[in-house]
Amino acid sequence: MYRYIFKRIVFMVITVFAVFALTFFLMNVIPGGTSEMILKHTFIGLEESATDEQLAQVSERYNLNDPLYLQFFEWIRGGLLEGDLGTSFVYHKPVLHLLMLRLPATIVLAFSSMLIASIAGVSLGVYAALRENRFADHLLRILTLFGVSMPGFWVGLLLILIFSVYLKLVPVAGYGSIWNLILPAIALSIHSLASIMRVTRTSMLETLGEDYIKFATAKGLPVSKIISRHALKNSLLPVVTVLGFQMGAMLGGSVVIEKVFAWPGIGSLLVDSIFARDLPVVQACIIVIVLLFLVVNFIVDLVYIYLDPRIRYG
Amino acid sequence: MKNQYLSILFVILVLAGSVFMSGCTSSGEESVASGQTLVLGEMWDIDGIDPAVEGTVIGEKAAVTETLVGANSDFSLKPELAESWEQTDDYTWVFTLRQGVKFHDGSTMTAEDVKFSLERTIAENTRVESMLKIDSINVIGDHTLEITTTDLNPILAGILHYPDLGIISASSFNENGEFVKPIGTGPYVFESYDEQTRVLTVVKNDEWWGGEVGLEKMILKGMPDPNTRAMAIENGELDFTVDVPYSETDHIDSIEGIIVEKYSTPRVYKMDTNLQNEALADVRVRQAISYAINRDDIVEHVLYNVGEPAAGPFLPVMAWTNKDLKPYDQDLEKAKELLTEAGWVDTDGDGIRDKDGEALEFELLTYSARPGLPPMAEAIAAQLKDVGISVSPQVLEWGAISDKQKNGDWELLLAAYNIAMVPDPEYVLSNWYTTTGPDNGPGYSNPEVDALVEEARTIKDLDLRYQKFNEVEAIVYEEQPMILVAYYGCAIVKKDSVKGYVFDPTAHDYRINAAMYMEE
Repeated sequence: MYRYIFKRIVFMVITVFAVFALTFFLMNVIPGGTSEMILKHTFIGLEESATDEQLAQVSERYNLNDPLYLQFFEWIRGGLLEGDLGTSFVYHKPVLHLLMLRLPATIVLAFSSMLIASIAGVSLGVYAALRENRFADHLLRILTLFGVSMPGFWVGLLLILIFSVYLKLVPVAGYGSIWNLILPAIALSIHSLASIMRVTRTSMLETLGEDYIKFATAKGLPVSKIISRHALKNSLLPVVTVLGFQMGAMLGGSVVIEKVFAWPGIGSLLVDSIFARDLPVVQACIIVIVLLFLVVNFIVDLVYIYLDPRIRYG
Repeated sequence: MKNQYLSILFVILVLAGSVFMSGCTSSGEESVASGQTLVLGEMWDIDGIDPAVEGTVIGEKAAVTETLVGANSDFSLKPELAESWEQTDDYTWVFTLRQGVKFHDGSTMTAEDVKFSLERTIAENTRVESMLKIDSINVIGDHTLEITTTDLNPILAGILHYPDLGIISASSFNENGEFVKPIGTGPYVFESYDEQTRVLTVVKNDEWWGGEVGLEKMILKGMPDPNTRAMAIENGELDFTVDVPYSETDHIDSIEGIIVEKYSTPRVYKMDTNLQNEALADVRVRQAISYAINRDDIVEHVLYNVGEPAAGPFLPVMAWTNKDLKPYDQDLEKAKELLTEAGWVDTDGDGIRDKDGEALEFELLTYSARPGLPPMAEAIAAQLKDVGISVSPQVLEWGAISDKQKNGDWELLLAAYNIAMVPDPEYVLSNWYTTTGPDNGPGYSNPEVDALVEEARTIKDLDLRYQKFNEVEAIVYEEQPMILVAYYGCAIVKKDSVKGYVFDPTAHDYRINAAMYMEE
């Protein structure tokens, strides 16, 4: 078990390094010169041209004239070995400072959404399985279809329209109180909720068809006990897998939701920085998101062992 | 089983705790605004408070800083912190500062402060540095400055209107020389900036040299999504915002208690033509394109009247605009005639004109950062089809467009350029239309235009100077290397209770004026 954990951590470090390298080189091959894009996104309107003199100054200031491999090793030395994530080209502030400002908002948003998605998704999934092919089941299936196919920003705007503008229950946008969190957390959770519900329903139906459940039913155990004691734990295994993936989707989806709700998270920071070619910030955001994703998946794998003791990692 | 419930309970508690913590980090500004407090929904994220790089927010929107030179609504210059200025020779300017202007910390503004402030912005901001071309700034007296330039720069005073050149006191910095907060001279005093929520708060400056200030307080919140801004003002969370989705302006205006006002801003939607392209090199083809475009329809149906059809590069209200020019009216017959005259005829009957076996077709590049552009490109493509020109719009990221431009791998490019970065015609006309102009995307070269611009830039008499520039406008109006489609619009959305607002077309998006107040 400990060997397994150690191995996983080593792989995580390798993955982070690979992501680091990939991001760095990909950012350098996408169209548009770095110095030009920095200029356009900071000092000038997007369309106005930058003079050669200005471009040279920016390149000089941010060491963009060095060969690519040197710049890369500089990143590695500063970022991975010395823990110095550099200074943002655009905000002129240490990247670590920017991350510390934005990360809590994203974590709160993503985990709240995950909580809503998993509790509601599993409950509704079980409920749908128990009502198989009845009205409630059909209705929930139609709703899931909507949930999976509706884009996040549209759900967000719809929620604002209903709950803020018409019902006046919560504020439209902002950050700082639990009232501000409700709508973005729900908007972000809809997609995952629907996926979790579908998987739970299918998995639950499969489990309910197993011999030991039939035996328990024959024994005369009440349905609530059969579900909570026997069926649920066994049918959760695929659900947990989905949860791991959904965490990635949450971090990706938060980009749009953060913009709609003016939520000061890391997602919107990442997108703005990509467009502005603010490399140190892009790198740092991606590393953080990848780390979060890896850690969540690692935890998911450990939860497997708990749920199914037959699984033993070597 | 008990353990399982306990762990679920634990997770819930941790999350509830984190949510609660997120509440604790707020600046507590969520309390409902009352009286003379204006809550403003800003269209960009408020990323910082350093006027040298965030001048548009700190100077124009929060009204904390002011510049030496101001501008009237016709873009002519007027005194602001400088009372007067004079160009003593080709390279030397003398500025006389207004007396008795106090910074927000109570100190009196002197020539030393101005020198310090300008020099700092020049060091921090590459853009203004290259526009100003300053050699030295010398303090002549308490209220007199002499500025010398490295090159002939007749538009120096106009550039000093640029909001990043707002004057701040040296006490805006700590003892290590680090910027702390903007201490300016404007009608509003910086109160707080929450770096996490990016909410900026300013309060009234009772000592403002310009007179009475209307509002007690302004809270500026960055809301980059136009739909969110629209719903936030509808919900009563904002008192003032701008640029809601164009298609929503009529609906929002119909809501009781909210007014939408539409204005033209100094930005123009224009379509560059690549003159390296054989077909586009023919002036008749460019004119035909211009005649085929129905600008009124585009303004009405694409921009929902948030904008105006464009004739020349400059807004009709600008002091130097060639007022004789009118937007090209759609004239399909004339367009067809010109194309036929240029040899483009539909020989194979497929609806697209051709010449020597080549069809008359172009790729029209644009980008989505400005919401009016992609639908405008579609509309133009549809209109050009009516005269036998096939256009395929391509929406790309700006970096990809830049690369295509550099490689010469493009035909038409639709973009929205600023036309008053500096309140003077020279800047735009020489950048866009002279052979070596940095914004001359089409590769246009006309010796007459080059000579006129060169001649005009040395003329100090404004009327004569503008006359020469009007001639340039008339020439490029005929030649159409850049096809001007519409002036950019700005929709100001405010509650009825917000009074005294005057739109300033010289601002980058909008400017908050000191006379604004709230009716109780």
